[in-house]
Amino acid sequence: MSNVAIQTANVQSRPARNSRWRKKLRNAGLPIISALVGIVIWEILVRALKMPEYLLPAPSSVIEALVGRWQYLMYNLGYTAFAALSGFFMALVLGVTLGIAIAASPIVDRIVYPWLVISHAIPKVVVAPLLLVWIGFGVKSGILFVVFFTFFTIVVNTVMGLKSADPDLLHLVRSMGAGPLKVMWKIKLPNALPNIFTGIKLAATLAPVGAVIGEFVASNRGLGYVLIQAVGSMTTDLAFAAVILVSAFGVAVWYIAELVEKKCLPWHASQRGQ
Amino acid sequence: MVVKAQHSTTEKIVELTQVQKTYFTDTGDVHALDPVSFGFDKGQILSVVGPSGCGKSTLLRILAGIDTATGGKIVIDGRTITGPIGDVGIVFQRDLLLDWRRVLDNVMLPAELAGRNNAEMKERAMGLLRELGVGDFANKYPYELSGGMRQRVAIARALLLRPSLLLLDEPFSALDAMTRDQMNVILQRLQQHEQVSTLLITHSIPEAVYLSDRVVVMSARPGRVLDVIDIDFAKPRALSIREEPQFTAIARKIRVLFENEGVLAA
Repeated sequence: MSNVAIQTANVQSRPARNSRWRKKLRNAGLPIISALVGIVIWEILVRALKMPEYLLPAPSSVIEALVGRWQYLMYNLGYTAFAALSGFFMALVLGVTLGIAIAASPIVDRIVYPWLVISHAIPKVVVAPLLLVWIGFGVKSGILFVVFFTFFTIVVNTVMGLKSADPDLLHLVRSMGAGPLKVMWKIKLPNALPNIFTGIKLAATLAPVGAVIGEFVASNRGLGYVLIQAVGSMTTDLAFAAVILVSAFGVAVWYIAELVEKKCLPWHASQRGQ
Repeated sequence: MVVKAQHSTTEKIVELTQVQKTYFTDTGDVHALDPVSFGFDKGQILSVVGPSGCGKSTLLRILAGIDTATGGKIVIDGRTITGPIGDVGIVFQRDLLLDWRRVLDNVMLPAELAGRNNAEMKERAMGLLRELGVGDFANKYPYELSGGMRQRVAIARALLLRPSLLLLDEPFSALDAMTRDQMNVILQRLQQHEQVSTLLITHSIPEAVYLSDRVVVMSARPGRVLDVIDIDFAKPRALSIREEPQFTAIARKIRVLFENEGVLAA
């Protein structure tokens, strides 16, 4: 009896294991294959159509530019990364602080709200040249632009998280004698962390974009500057290389933020996994 | 022990006199609670049983100091109350545990808020968790626990600071029937051990009769007291007492009260 059971189990487990491998291959392998095939097609098309380099460089020449100008590109990436990260952290501190003030006081909420909406509605790119006029050339205006660019996301998510605390729970801790400060620190803020992390992740990926836009206008360093220069001098391969680096940096920042989130919120539904 | 028992027969823990509640809204006044008066002795369990919307939860919120009465007098442990007194432990139907805190840290919350986060309190928290049968889960997060276990943690949290009054607002309504029976037994044992005066809001007649020394039967909105019934069965009580004729007689009496009110009429 038990022999039969074991045999059938064996018979069933083999195809099950096979299909699991196939599933893994499909999940991880297919996107990579798809990307590689796309790049190869791009290479073939550029060569077959004899596309001029300044219009669309072949992937091979982009890699060449990436390798050949590696030091130059890294130096400028460092500059962009510095502006992006310092701007992001300033926006984080300011955004969470303002978010707490808005959630804690309806008066602050009403006073600040219109300014928040207006500042968000303004096309940010328009402000970049103004920052050049006000603050001048260099990294300071770049950082400030990143702050301006990422601030809103953090504030909005912070406020949403702080205001979403369960009213019954608030009643309960108040009946335990907790004052507004303790309620904020022990209940509302930890309760808002998942939302704040959503804001952080969005802002972290916006930050490099903001830094590049700032460099378009008011810098002689950074990948944004490299990009403008490269497009101006028709060295499109270098421009592509710069774009790839900015994107890679954005992806890296996203994953770091996600890692920190996992460490901080092991209890949250989005982090439990299997 | 004997001295305490005699003591408890003389001193009241809760005394309500003509307590009423009216909500004033734009669309008119809503009468939630007609004047109600009742009370019970220290160390006992009183249940308020009634249909949904009879104002029994309003009553509990008033006792907890979360809500205020629009009339009448409330005395808890000899003090006339007007706001949160901080000396009550509350358990709601939802456990309201903090997802980001481990079980033990959840139980320790009242101690932290009261500035009494010390080793002795931690000891008591662990003791309560063990007594409630969830000691092994002290280091788990709430999401790792079942509904019944979560509610036990909520009860431990409510009892941590040895409140003079434990308020339970339909604490077992969200649990399945078997878990609910189990929780009734556990609550009775714990209440006896802790000697904590307990006010239980429920809409289960058997639960009220099984657990209580006194049952207050309330009518549908606006809430009125239909009857106050003392239950004299010796404690601890076995679950099987629910099949005894004396028990079923009391349960029937309460049910008939509701039927006469049109609440449970066929």
